[in-house]
Amino acid sequence: MIWSGFLEGLRLVVSAIMNTVATPVLIYFLLVNTSMLVLMGLAGWEFGHQSRRRGYAGSEQTVASQLGQGVSVVVAAYNEDVVIVDTVQGLLALRFARHEVIVVDDGSTDATYEELRKAFDLVPVQLEVPSDLTTRGAVIDVHVPRDGRTRLVLVRKENSGRSDSINVGINAAVEALVVFIDADSILDPDALIAVTKPFADDPTRVVATGGVIRAVNGCRVVDGRVVEVRLGKPWLVRIQVVEYLRAFILGRSGWSRFGALILISGAFGMFRRDVLVEVGGLDPGSIGEDFELVMRIHRHMIKNHRDYRVQFVAEPVSWTEVPVTVKVLRSQRKRWHRGLWETLWKYRGMLFNPRYGRIGLVALPYYWAFELIAPVLELVGFVLVVLGFALGVVHTSYALMFMAVAYGYATLVTLVAMAIEELSYHRYPRWRDLGAILLASVLENVGYRQATAWWRLEGWVASLRGKKQVWGIMTRQGFGDQTPTAPASRGAAPAPASPPPTTRTPRKRQTP
Amino acid sequence: MNVGSTFLSVGVAIGLAIASSIVVIAIAKVRRVRVGVSARAMLAPFRLGLVAMASGEDEGGQAKIALCALPAPIWVRVRPSVVAFLPKVRGLPADDLTELMRAHGEIDEARRMLSSRSAVRRARAAYLLGLMRDADSVVLLLPLLNEPVADVRMVATRALGTIGDPSAASAILRALRTQHGHIGLPAWVAAEALLAMGSGIEPALQIGLASEDPAVRHVCAVVAGHGTYLLAAPQLRILLATDGDGDVRVSAAVALGRLGGADDAATLARHAEASESTVLRRTCATALGDLGHREGTQALTELLGDGDRRLAELAADSLVRIGSEGIARLEEAAATPLQGPSARAARGALELAGMRGQLAASDSGSS
Repeated sequence: MIWSGFLEGLRLVVSAIMNTVATPVLIYFLLVNTSMLVLMGLAGWEFGHQSRRRGYAGSEQTVASQLGQGVSVVVAAYNEDVVIVDTVQGLLALRFARHEVIVVDDGSTDATYEELRKAFDLVPVQLEVPSDLTTRGAVIDVHVPRDGRTRLVLVRKENSGRSDSINVGINAAVEALVVFIDADSILDPDALIAVTKPFADDPTRVVATGGVIRAVNGCRVVDGRVVEVRLGKPWLVRIQVVEYLRAFILGRSGWSRFGALILISGAFGMFRRDVLVEVGGLDPGSIGEDFELVMRIHRHMIKNHRDYRVQFVAEPVSWTEVPVTVKVLRSQRKRWHRGLWETLWKYRGMLFNPRYGRIGLVALPYYWAFELIAPVLELVGFVLVVLGFALGVVHTSYALMFMAVAYGYATLVTLVAMAIEELSYHRYPRWRDLGAILLASVLENVGYRQATAWWRLEGWVASLRGKKQVWGIMTRQGFGDQTPTAPASRGAAPAPASPPPTTRTPRKRQTP
Repeated sequence: MNVGSTFLSVGVAIGLAIASSIVVIAIAKVRRVRVGVSARAMLAPFRLGLVAMASGEDEGGQAKIALCALPAPIWVRVRPSVVAFLPKVRGLPADDLTELMRAHGEIDEARRMLSSRSAVRRARAAYLLGLMRDADSVVLLLPLLNEPVADVRMVATRALGTIGDPSAASAILRALRTQHGHIGLPAWVAAEALLAMGSGIEPALQIGLASEDPAVRHVCAVVAGHGTYLLAAPQLRILLATDGDGDVRVSAAVALGRLGGADDAATLARHAEASESTVLRRTCATALGDLGHREGTQALTELLGDGDRRLAELAADSLVRIGSEGIARLEEAAATPLQGPSARAARGALELAGMRGQLAASDSGSS
């Protein structure tokens, strides 16, 4: 009796809510997916433009030129002994006229330093690191290869976090352009040529460029180079490949084409060094430090009435490991969403502010409405429809319509992204990989999307409650063998009992 | 329309769109595979001959004759490989490949395309004419320097540089001028093209150094330094001392470091003083090392203790490059018992110089 009364009450409540929110929720999903389609259209346009000019773009001249700007590649490393030698080898071998590699060892407790020392015959030198940017972790020593000519610098410093380590790297950089790379990233041989091209073509206005991130899991890597692109086996990785393709590659290309790119991944972003020094470098206190930096650059340039550009370069790419366990993925997504929220909140003054043009009037409202709030509405919509369906207050037709608009349309968006990828860069040559990606784009909607929405919500709530951010642990697999490594083996960062927020160099990127 | 039919139409539309996307993906993949296989098959009989031509091993000219005689439908498939080889070869192989292109009417076609309505076609045509170093096309390429499309301007500039006709230098310098707040050409693209034209550009360079446009003066200073145009030195000194544009002063300092004489050490040292901008001070410290005259050692030694530690590092490196006298100054500074900034900079530079073998070279040079 009580139970049936409860059910009746619940039915009335759900029915009332559904009557109010059913149509708005449907419209919301329609808008989210349609906006993604629009971004993809812009990205497709951009890819077409890039593809047409590839024949005469002048890459060879860029490689051969001694007059172009040099690049300092900064790698922040904390307990990266499994991958660091491969990464540095790959970076030193990049095709470019003038580049140096700066590894900042953020107080690693594993064999990161020893591996580098052995591989590159490093010796300590009494070189000073200038302090153009204020940093927290004290520099311990500086090492260079014994030949004194190989352009590799290792700066060892006290542990103070990734952002602070990158700031130390910026201080040590001698070239005009600085690119940040994650220690587990591998760049395509021509990556620097492509990412510096906008700076070369428009040197006075371009202040930052972002490159593409793709998943290296499953690929064959030899001597720090991806020699065969393959899809990783776990479905968790495959779904992330789909996600990266849709959001990292096409989404950002679209924003770049629109002239309102506000997010450059910290795993592969290039900046003018003088601009970085002007704005104060990365904010070590920020969770979404890459997003925060780009927002700060936008605000700084617009406030100072400077004509500038922030661009995205869709090819070639930086290959990086994506999480292979639910635990790590959850931690990553919580962190991303927390970073998104904190940065959006910090720069709320730019929202709907006409002074900031497309950034204030289009990009930021989009991120608030369709990135930040999305997990709330997604979960609310999903729970209401399931509950309403179970209670009989939602018609089968509405439930199916909801599924079609929320998930069917999302699948369509992903497939359009894949079609654009296949027509342009077609990185996955094997039929079986293509089939797996197709399947992953459907499977993504069954459990994965709901789980990530929940984790993102967790991150947001944790931030609102003022909970300390605890970095997750990313177990490295290394590039040579993609068999998962046991957590106790090399490369697994020791889990401190309760690490303070900035005592690790975390792997983190912004929300795709 | 009721809810059921709305659902049906939405569902059907999305389903059809999904199916279409899958078909597009599959067709794109199949087509790419087929085109690749067919292109390889079509090229296979001619690959050896083409490689022989590109590597300069087509001694009897048999391969060239055979490739020149290809019918148009087959040439279309071979052509991309020829174009891909062109930027990678020089000398006889480049001449042979150009002749092959000419035999198939590619030069005439490219010249026609220079006036195409499509910017992409104009750029491709300019690129091709540059690759083929077609000197007769210079006059046709010059108007492209005033194109509204930046890509076309850049490709035309590169093409003119590759052809290497110095008569185009003035036009390239004019194309540098800022238009409607946007740069005409990226400085480095113009500078590369001018450098490729050789000493014939000197008159244009001297006029450019006196231009009203800072972008033009900047590029001319860069080219003067990298091309070691000694006659430009007096104008470079004036630019370094008086120019209102920071970039121009910096490029003038770099150029003076490369082509200046002992007298310029004092000028560069003066502009490395604390009253100047950071970038100019650092540039002058480096330029003193490039200059390599002992007259610069005193100023550089004083910079070792500067608060700008990058400047100190550059000064120390310049002292190493000056040779035995500079190294002696560094050794003096390093021997100071106090752990002051000068000593630190000097020790770092000496360590690096030792690793590079510069200390031994300096000793043997002085002995």
